[in-house]
Amino acid sequence: MDHHLASDSPQVRPRWRKVAYGGMQPGFDDNHTDESFLEGMVMNANVVRRDMLKVMLDSVSISEYLCIVALVVLVWTYTLESTIDENRLLCIDVSLLVLGFLILLFTQEKISLSILVHHYFLNISFFIMGLYVLAPIYQTLTRSISSDSIWALTVSLLVIHLFLHDYSESTVNAPGALKNPALTSCISVNASVVASVFIASRLPSRLHVFAIMLFSLQVFLFGPLVTYCIKKYSFRLHLCFSISLMVVTLSFVYMLHCLLFVLLLSLLVFVNVVCPYWLIRIQEYKFEINGPWDEAKLCFAITD
Amino acid sequence: MTGGLKVYYVPWRPFVMQNSFLTLFPSLPIIRTTLIRERITIVHGHQAFSTLCHEALMHSRTMGYRVVFTDHSLYGFSDAGSIHMNKVLQFTLADVSQAICVSPTSRENTVLWSGLPPEKIYVIPNAVDTAMFKPAVVQPSRSEIVIVVISRLVYRKGADLLVEVIPDVCRLHPNVRFIVGGDGPKRVWLEEMREKHSLQDRVEMLGVVPHAQVRSVLISGHIFLNSSLTEAFCIAILEAASCGLLTVSTRVGGVPEVLPDDMIILAEPDPGDTVLAIERAISMLPKVDPQVMHHRMRELYNWHDVAKRTEIVYDRTLKCPNQNLLVRVSRYILNIIC
Repeated sequence: MDHHLASDSPQVRPRWRKVAYGGMQPGFDDNHTDESFLEGMVMNANVVRRDMLKVMLDSVSISEYLCIVALVVLVWTYTLESTIDENRLLCIDVSLLVLGFLILLFTQEKISLSILVHHYFLNISFFIMGLYVLAPIYQTLTRSISSDSIWALTVSLLVIHLFLHDYSESTVNAPGALKNPALTSCISVNASVVASVFIASRLPSRLHVFAIMLFSLQVFLFGPLVTYCIKKYSFRLHLCFSISLMVVTLSFVYMLHCLLFVLLLSLLVFVNVVCPYWLIRIQEYKFEINGPWDEAKLCFAITD
Repeated sequence: MTGGLKVYYVPWRPFVMQNSFLTLFPSLPIIRTTLIRERITIVHGHQAFSTLCHEALMHSRTMGYRVVFTDHSLYGFSDAGSIHMNKVLQFTLADVSQAICVSPTSRENTVLWSGLPPEKIYVIPNAVDTAMFKPAVVQPSRSEIVIVVISRLVYRKGADLLVEVIPDVCRLHPNVRFIVGGDGPKRVWLEEMREKHSLQDRVEMLGVVPHAQVRSVLISGHIFLNSSLTEAFCIAILEAASCGLLTVSTRVGGVPEVLPDDMIILAEPDPGDTVLAIERAISMLPKVDPQVMHHRMRELYNWHDVAKRTEIVYDRTLKCPNQNLLVRVSRYILNIIC
């Protein structure tokens, strides 16, 4: 059937195959580069195209948390200077608690009053009682340490807390959700609690200590939950809340000290404006290569 | 040693997992003495993770010798360890005359991270000693199907995948038995899996198998299972095929290029898909003749062929012009900039 083909045409060399067996392929060198070279390569497959406005809006939650921490430090400073006395502090605590509960009730539609009472209220009352009982221990904890070391330690711990804080709020959830917190978010929570304990130990009376500990732990432990609920409920509400918080913080810090006001303002501008612009500028240089040589990713959870 | 092979021992003490510490210049006297005394013409380094290889190549290039480098692994581009390794290798390979990779996928990977032109990289696969890995004279009975796994039990070699796959296969096929050889950090998980599903009589754990006894373990089975997550070239598969076992493997790296399609069944690195592939292998088993497979392996892989191809690379290396210092330094600087 193909006699004339076999007699006329010269020897057609077989196509190069991308295989390792069979020895040297006849007619081809070992360094032969075929057209199919690198055809399995995929570039920038997982890169997210970012929009400037969206990044700026997302960075608002970071500056919101910075303002919350600044407010806490403000309250600490006023308490240490005895500008706020313990009764006022207790009023602040109670009002913050009530406010937090109201926001939770308002923003979580599925939650009813009974669940609120059973789950949150009971736990928080146990927590407050425990704190009151332990207050004498905190008061005498750092008596032998000099004040300078305490201030230095507190500042470093707060910086660590801000650096390692989980701003994506992946671990904050309504009760019942199971998620393993990352190591860094555990470290950041611990750093903030230890900083609060150090500050509380510098105060004169037990009631002072109890009030300031309650205030700090309320903000550090429940603050992320409240802001997450607000953000989930309505983005506009979250934006209004953050901007008003920033304005309030800046005005209080201005009343305290001018230099700190300038520092805080420049930090907020840096986080909200400069960083998004920088991120989008350097995204152009991103070069991600994927291909058949990558290590396979197992899609099931590995219990390790 | 046989064939005029000489081995020089460098007395560095290994400090963790058989790795010795990096020494930049203390290895220079030993390497220089060896190269001059033996009147070496070409220096051939293997394996990117070996510090001795990098230092030997660097010192040989300083002394003006021709250098060939063979790469046996694949590298990703995304995690910190890979990025560091790639940078180190870029410097070493900036100055090498030729490079050899063990599979076409490995060659693509090397071109991407080293920046060498593709013409400088040759594909010379490893081979298998078919005289040593012969199938059994008397085949084990096919009434009970035996699946053999011999690998280091670490994450990279897919030990977690094994933990998921073995119970499913044992449940679906009551006549299947597993033999698991090898040791490693993940051995505990396999033992735990064995206890949890009461598979003590169906999964046999052999521990470390010395290389001389690998053949006797292989010929007691019908199917070889390889579950690695990354492989440039898998010699274990060749040894299994040479002993007449049908191979089931994950489709990663260079594995699809190693054996023809009728001797290997590929699966995605997913437990469900691997179980399906094992079922396909079990159904294909009656058509498989170990002696025929062994003879085919003799044709496909041959160390003499590898030696001939490597000699061609050496000839090309010797013909390479020796570049002057400025050109070589500029190539290093290009690596620092990019």
